[in-house]
Amino acid sequence: MRAALGKVLCLGKEMFLKQAFALSRVTAARESPTCAVGSTLLSCNRHYRSQPTHGIGRFRHLLPLELSKRKRDRIRMKEISAGSDHAYGDLNIQMTAYDMCLVEHFAQYVHKLCNRFSIRVIESYAMPTKTTEVMVMQEQGSRLYPDAVLTTHQRVVQISGLSSTFAPVLLEVIQSNQPEGVHLSVKEHTEADFKVRLKARPELEELMAQMS
Amino acid sequence: MALWCGALWPMGGKMAAPMQRALCGAAVPWRWALGPRWLAAAAAPRWRLVGALCLQRPPSITQALSPEQEEMAQLVHQIEVEKSNFSDHEIRRLAEEEQLRKMKDNIQDEEADSGQAIVLAQDLEDAWEQKFQQFKAGPRITDADKRNDRTSLNRKLDRNLMLLVKEKVGNQELWLLPQAEWQAGETLRSTAERALATLSGNCIQAKFLGNAPCGLYKYKFPRALRTEGSVGAKIFFFKALLQSGDLPQAERKEDYVWVSRGELGDYLKPDYLTQVNRFLMDQ
Repeated sequence: MRAALGKVLCLGKEMFLKQAFALSRVTAARESPTCAVGSTLLSCNRHYRSQPTHGIGRFRHLLPLELSKRKRDRIRMKEISAGSDHAYGDLNIQMTAYDMCLVEHFAQYVHKLCNRFSIRVIESYAMPTKTTEVMVMQEQGSRLYPDAVLTTHQRVVQISGLSSTFAPVLLEVIQSNQPEGVHLSVKEHTEADFKVRLKARPELEELMAQMS
Repeated sequence: MALWCGALWPMGGKMAAPMQRALCGAAVPWRWALGPRWLAAAAAPRWRLVGALCLQRPPSITQALSPEQEEMAQLVHQIEVEKSNFSDHEIRRLAEEEQLRKMKDNIQDEEADSGQAIVLAQDLEDAWEQKFQQFKAGPRITDADKRNDRTSLNRKLDRNLMLLVKEKVGNQELWLLPQAEWQAGETLRSTAERALATLSGNCIQAKFLGNAPCGLYKYKFPRALRTEGSVGAKIFFFKALLQSGDLPQAERKEDYVWVSRGELGDYLKPDYLTQVNRFLMDQ
């Protein structure tokens, strides 16, 4: 029944269209219709680009310029600030644990804490998960058999511009709120830390070795 | 950063005088008339600088949850379990239970299969359960807690413990944080490290969190002891976390205690305690 109704409606619309064409041809000579009262099918020859309201919803020109990123340009290391006598440079707060929810919640907590203290957080990322298989010696025999599979998760929060007078306070707060099972370490950010995140490209390395 | 002022200005008032004169050199004449008197007043108060050490043993277990927290944690856990999907192990176990049920219904077919040495998920679970029963967790309330032995480090595993020593200051025996007087040419942090070394020999490994002091306590000597050179003393506190080691047990049994924040009031004087409480972060 619905299909039949639909067919009826379509037919009705087609007839309507023909009538509208006829109407618009008649009226185009006199004036161009500026308003579309009722159905938009009434005015099919819309001169919308010439109307004063053209571009009424434009917003793209208000957004900040986004430079087009080629794939090769995207991965570029940010400048690692060295730090002065009174402030640390880029620091990595690394949190490692076997329990993913725990380490993620702790990383979120550290991030929010730094926001609260107005410490600039540059990045907050995760390192790839490492899977460890725990092998246990069999009691009767000398064969190793797999006992458990452990996954190690690491989250890193990178901060910058930590003043030397505030650093002990921040470290103590983070340490005293450290949950059980999470290993915490605060290190200075180096290029090696950045390179560890990138995938190794064996073909490229091979070609470079061949070239040189 | 008023805390730093005491450390940065050199000890002698003689250095201070020419700098202050330079500062007020551009002042208006009526101010200059007051200058000499001000300078004389500024040169007089000289404070002895002391570096003190707040050595904390961090807690090794988390504090017990309050009843509301416990209830909430259980509710959230229940919601999570009910909303979650089955893990591989659980899927395997359900499939095996299904198989067993089918085999019970049609006993004729595939009897040989179950006889083989397949480790069922249920067997694995039983083995794990047995292993768990054999595991014994360490006690949360240790012997030292029961005896209230305040010189031991094994007490109150869920709180920070601080080191207090009893020293003779003036003609009084006072409980205070271990301290040492500042000597020319060293930083205040190295003064605190020296205090630690003299107290413990080389037994204690402590990690200082930074070069900046965390607190300040200043007091004036009683009038009888005040001299031209020293009106009082300023004690700068430095925080350190205990990594390993303990005070040598043989000597000075009565002279030191490891106390938590709540017990500090039993030992420290009220003014000293308020200043120390300002930089302590645990409950």
